[in-house]
Amino acid sequence: MTATSRVRAEATAAWHAFVRRRTAVFFTFFFPVILILIFAVLVRTDPAGGGLFAEPAGYYLPGYLAVVVLFTPLSRVGSTVARHREGNRFEKLATTPLTRAEWLLAHTLVNVVIIGIAGLLILGLMVAVTDTATLALGPANLLLVAVFVAVAVALFCGFGAILGSLADSQDGVIAASNTIALPLLFLSETFVTPDLLPAWFRPAMDLSPLTYFARGVRDLTYSGAPFGDDLLVLAALAVGFFAVGAALIPRTD
Amino acid sequence: MTDVLVAEDLRRTYGDTAALSGVSLSVGDGEVFALVGPNGAGKTTLIRALTGTTEPDSGSVRVFDSRPTAVDRQRIGLLPQSFDPPERLTARELVTYYAGLYDEARDPEAILAEVGIAESAATRYENLSGGQQRRTCVGTALVNDPDLLFLDEPTTGVDPAGRRALWRLIERLADEGTTVVLTTHYMAEAERLADRVGLLADGKLAAVGSPTALVAEHGGRTRLVVETSDGSAEADDERAEASDEAEMNDDAETTDAPDSVASASAAADAAADALTTTDFEVETTERGLVVHGVAPEDIGRVVGTLDDRGVEYGALTWTEPDLEDVFLQLTGRSADGSGEAATIGSGADAEPSNAVAEGEL
Repeated sequence: MTATSRVRAEATAAWHAFVRRRTAVFFTFFFPVILILIFAVLVRTDPAGGGLFAEPAGYYLPGYLAVVVLFTPLSRVGSTVARHREGNRFEKLATTPLTRAEWLLAHTLVNVVIIGIAGLLILGLMVAVTDTATLALGPANLLLVAVFVAVAVALFCGFGAILGSLADSQDGVIAASNTIALPLLFLSETFVTPDLLPAWFRPAMDLSPLTYFARGVRDLTYSGAPFGDDLLVLAALAVGFFAVGAALIPRTD
Repeated sequence: MTDVLVAEDLRRTYGDTAALSGVSLSVGDGEVFALVGPNGAGKTTLIRALTGTTEPDSGSVRVFDSRPTAVDRQRIGLLPQSFDPPERLTARELVTYYAGLYDEARDPEAILAEVGIAESAATRYENLSGGQQRRTCVGTALVNDPDLLFLDEPTTGVDPAGRRALWRLIERLADEGTTVVLTTHYMAEAERLADRVGLLADGKLAAVGSPTALVAEHGGRTRLVVETSDGSAEADDERAEASDEAEMNDDAETTDAPDSVASASAAADAAADALTTTDFEVETTERGLVVHGVAPEDIGRVVGTLDDRGVEYGALTWTEPDLEDVFLQLTGRSADGSGEAATIGSGADAEPSNAVAEGEL
């Protein structure tokens, strides 16, 4: 009960801090909009077949969701950790009953809400501007997609906390998160189909946590294949990243 | 008095820099203990070691008879140095936020009133003045009604009025029984607030004691400054020019001093000569002379002697030794970190034999 109230207090403060930064709010939600407008509307399929974006529109829903699931928590939590450290906030928090895991949980919940809203925006835009006949978006599937999103956000919040704890500044966090996120995004079965990559490289895609998110959401909403294993792996990775991220959150030094 | 905090032989290095070099101290229940020293003296590292937010390389800390990290969080409060709380929150939201982290917390409105921010409670932190910001931060350290409060430079960057308001707040907390450990580089702050002061320099405690005892033991004697020069900018310029000319001229003794400098010097010599009849120690300086060990009731005697000899002087200034003098005496520099101390009078001549060695108490 007391842990709940502590997490609520931290999450409330973090939510206020986010929604009152108008630029951050604008670009957080403009990002998925511009993404869909570019890749789902402007980029044309190769008329001869093959190439990028040659699959039906529904194939790419996991990719669009992956963008916000990956980038937003990674950079937000990473830079928040760096900002907290620079402002000696962790030093103060270390003398309160709030634990590091509770702190990270609170910020994860805020990110789940933010990315949940961004995800709904993506779904709405896809329905509005693309042919979504191939998507299975019933209420049960939407709920399961929400579970995938929440678990993946927890994973990348943990990853962000690791980056924020290891990088020495906010600039360092941003540079590191971009360097990590871009390859992950394009090598995790999101926008680039595995057959476009060399055969020798394909097993390496299994090393990316984002792969299990993309596969699972695609199985759930597009191909109808079983998604349980992907959710299980994703959840296990989320627990691991969250635990390591929480443990690394600094106190002072 | 029961000790609520005991630290023994704390050592902490960062690379080649020794931030703490064997610091030992204890703080009693209900005591206000001030750590005084210039930037880089080790104050913040010591506070971090005492609160468990940094691990010393060696040594031990007990707070309420527990390790710092095992202490009931409800019992301690901390205002870190250079604390920058979460942004975009109002003063009220900030205090409420920190109150929400404790099982039992005080009414945020009462805290806001106590730190004098009630009228600005709805203002976002970044829009508050520096003093209001710092008072809000102090408020965040009070939300759990701590038994032991750590304040790391609580008044740095705060204007004089805000500083006095914070002093009154700390005094009230102390009166109500809160144990306070604070750091500062303002001697007046330590002298006013602290029951005991620890003078920290280069990671070592140079001395610990009540301000009165430290001043009595290490502060030296009172000083009566007799300014025979008029102290004006013109006189200063003339002195500087005379000094420069003397340095440039191989035969400095043949350089004629300006009239005002010569007359000031002559007056100082005359004053010093006049005071040889008294039992005071006299030191000649650029602007006149310093008479050491003059009690308030003896000032009239000194003045009378000067008047009897017809010595003209521009100003008389009588000063008692204070903590600044103690710090100068023990460390050879001022607590605000500025330069080496000028050795004036007998106080600076004494060996700091009674000073605490290597941070021992």
